[in-house]
Amino acid sequence: MTTKPRREAAVKRPISITAVVDAVGALAAGNMHGHLYMYDTNKSGGSTGFGTEELQTKARRGDQILWNCLALECEAYVAIDDIIIDRDVCEPVRKVYPGTDVAYWTGTVKKDAGPITYQIKFKLGTRDEPITTTLSSSLVG
Amino acid sequence: MPQQLAIIVLVDVGNALASSTLEGNTYLFDNMKLHGSENQGTGELVTAINGSYWRDGSQASEQVLNWLPYSLGSIPPTVPRGYEVERARQTDEQALAELQELAAKSTVPSADAEAELNRIRRSVGTRVKTTRRTRGRMSGQKIVDVTGQVVTEDATAAASYPAPVITDIYGEAVESKIMYPAEYGSPDMVTDGWYWSATVDTSRPGTYSYMMRVQLHKLVQTNGELRWDPVNLTCASALKITSEPRRNAFTKAGIGPLPIPSTARPGRGA
Repeated sequence: MTTKPRREAAVKRPISITAVVDAVGALAAGNMHGHLYMYDTNKSGGSTGFGTEELQTKARRGDQILWNCLALECEAYVAIDDIIIDRDVCEPVRKVYPGTDVAYWTGTVKKDAGPITYQIKFKLGTRDEPITTTLSSSLVG
Repeated sequence: MPQQLAIIVLVDVGNALASSTLEGNTYLFDNMKLHGSENQGTGELVTAINGSYWRDGSQASEQVLNWLPYSLGSIPPTVPRGYEVERARQTDEQALAELQELAAKSTVPSADAEAELNRIRRSVGTRVKTTRRTRGRMSGQKIVDVTGQVVTEDATAAASYPAPVITDIYGEAVESKIMYPAEYGSPDMVTDGWYWSATVDTSRPGTYSYMMRVQLHKLVQTNGELRWDPVNLTCASALKITSEPRRNAFTKAGIGPLPIPSTARPGRGA
């Protein structure tokens, strides 16, 4: 249990990236193409590509990024298995909401860099092998 | 009876509150993409509803729609219902245990004890004031950030917004008696027990618009007390009802003849 000390009064909201997954479509096709919609909460900061597989999130050094996912059918199981990104720029780790087994991924942008693309591995339904995105989203400095 | 359809209303609550509009901050989805729904994941979703008919042309069945409002960048809807209340209880218990420990080890007030008390005060978080309006749904909860940690009043900029609430569905499709929406209660864990649902008359093809009244909540501080103030906004969507027969999802053929390949039948010698 950590809490930010009082001197850090200007607490910044993390930039949340949400992947909306059409699990049925992705499982039927065996890939994520056309079955993934990416969004973030930094639209006013200049992020682009909303609702596509190529979200470009405007993020600078020091920004905390938080990834989570949402199934288009609320009965379907969708989870992020891994985020493949240059570890020198951001090192995402898997965490869970306290007291639950619902996971999210989070990392801090370590340095300003040009567009850094990343891929997400998704676990879908009862399929053993995760499915990796074909088109990449990116962090734009 | 056809499958019930879900329409996800995903709202960027922070941006919508900042710009006082849902336009450009709402993303809609349904699970009818393969049946002709257009503009998935945008604010311009057109939900395709394919009527089904008996062969004399009369309507075979109506369609049921359900709306699920979610908040982008908040704690996801997959955590248990009432998560904020649960977190409030957990952190209270933890603070009590820490206070007991502190009381046991120091009988004289000291700078150490004061620092320790301050730490506990921070870890216990800040409760939202319960008003007559917010009693029930958000009562007794603390401010929780987007990672599920409770926060004190100086750190509320990172607070997780409560999910949007649909408070009405109206407009052309309702006025022309194409759909009959209503709010229902259920033990559904995802939608906080309340959801909007509608039956759609599929016998009159056409495109019909409808409006949703959506309530968001803004965290405000008045006289040193925090509360969630409701903000009411609207957003539009549309239904497109066609009279095409339902199609077989495997063969894409209609429901008429079975899709038997047109090869020669044995014994006919062709």
